[in-house]
Amino acid sequence: MILIFGGAFQGKLEYVMEKYKLEDNQVFTCKGDKIEIDYSKKIIDNLEEFVYVCTKEGVEAKEILLENMGKLKDKIIICDDISQGVVSLDKTERAWREMVGRTMLMLGKESEEVIRIFCGLPDKIK
Amino acid sequence: MNYFISGGCKNGKSFHAQRVAKKMSEENGLPLYYIATMIPIDEEDNIRIDRHISERAGWGFETIEQPVNILGCLDKIDNKGVFLFDSVTALLMNEMFPVSGEPNLGAAKKIAKELEEFCSRTDNTVFVSDYIYSDCNKFDDLTDKYREGLALLDKTLAKACGQVVEVAYGFTKVHK
Repeated sequence: MILIFGGAFQGKLEYVMEKYKLEDNQVFTCKGDKIEIDYSKKIIDNLEEFVYVCTKEGVEAKEILLENMGKLKDKIIICDDISQGVVSLDKTERAWREMVGRTMLMLGKESEEVIRIFCGLPDKIK
Repeated sequence: MNYFISGGCKNGKSFHAQRVAKKMSEENGLPLYYIATMIPIDEEDNIRIDRHISERAGWGFETIEQPVNILGCLDKIDNKGVFLFDSVTALLMNEMFPVSGEPNLGAAKKIAKELEEFCSRTDNTVFVSDYIYSDCNKFDDLTDKYREGLALLDKTLAKACGQVVEVAYGFTKVHK
């Protein structure tokens, strides 16, 4: 498993598509309205949106991912880093930030490789 | 060589940028220009600008006001000088949200092209931007368009510049 993170709009997906020579149909984009991941795709993008629905539904995202760890072994997971701004006044957004933190700690530990993207440039952390 | 600096707010980016620009000018015996991008709209802005001016006093910068259409200043001054461009953030703000008029959603694409040209014509510019991409808020569309636009400018500059540095509380991380 490879984990890619960084701020919004930093070129994370573009970096992965170029580096691993992948096609658009190999990407699953998480949406903020349904707890769903298509494990048949190579890339799972916008993981923060998956965590957002989990937060709204009161489900721990990390647990769902751990249950499916076998299917995640050969995946590239992309997630926005939402940890560095002002604490939100909105309760759901605060809980979301915390759940993304817990999820990322677990994924970072489980991944063979972790890369942070800064302004389009990769920085290998693990 | 062009130099791109970003990082969080109030982390010492401007000070680091001033030092880099000053060194470039001293080593190569080149004039030092400060491109001022901010359009003051109230007293708070005037106070900030005064503070920045006093912080630059004695560094040897000549200040050039160029809040929009950034290539304009290159017709007026020596393109082989050293430029401190602070900040990309304010430039996009000025062009995307003009004081009178509707938001210009095409501003980022236009500025990206201009910055590429600025890089190739000067080759001695220190650019400063702001890393505003790691909040946990669901922003309104216009704010998100602004963040997306600034990210386009940052990525364009990170590609075009020979050095890319992130500043965090006075510490620097070299990305390129």
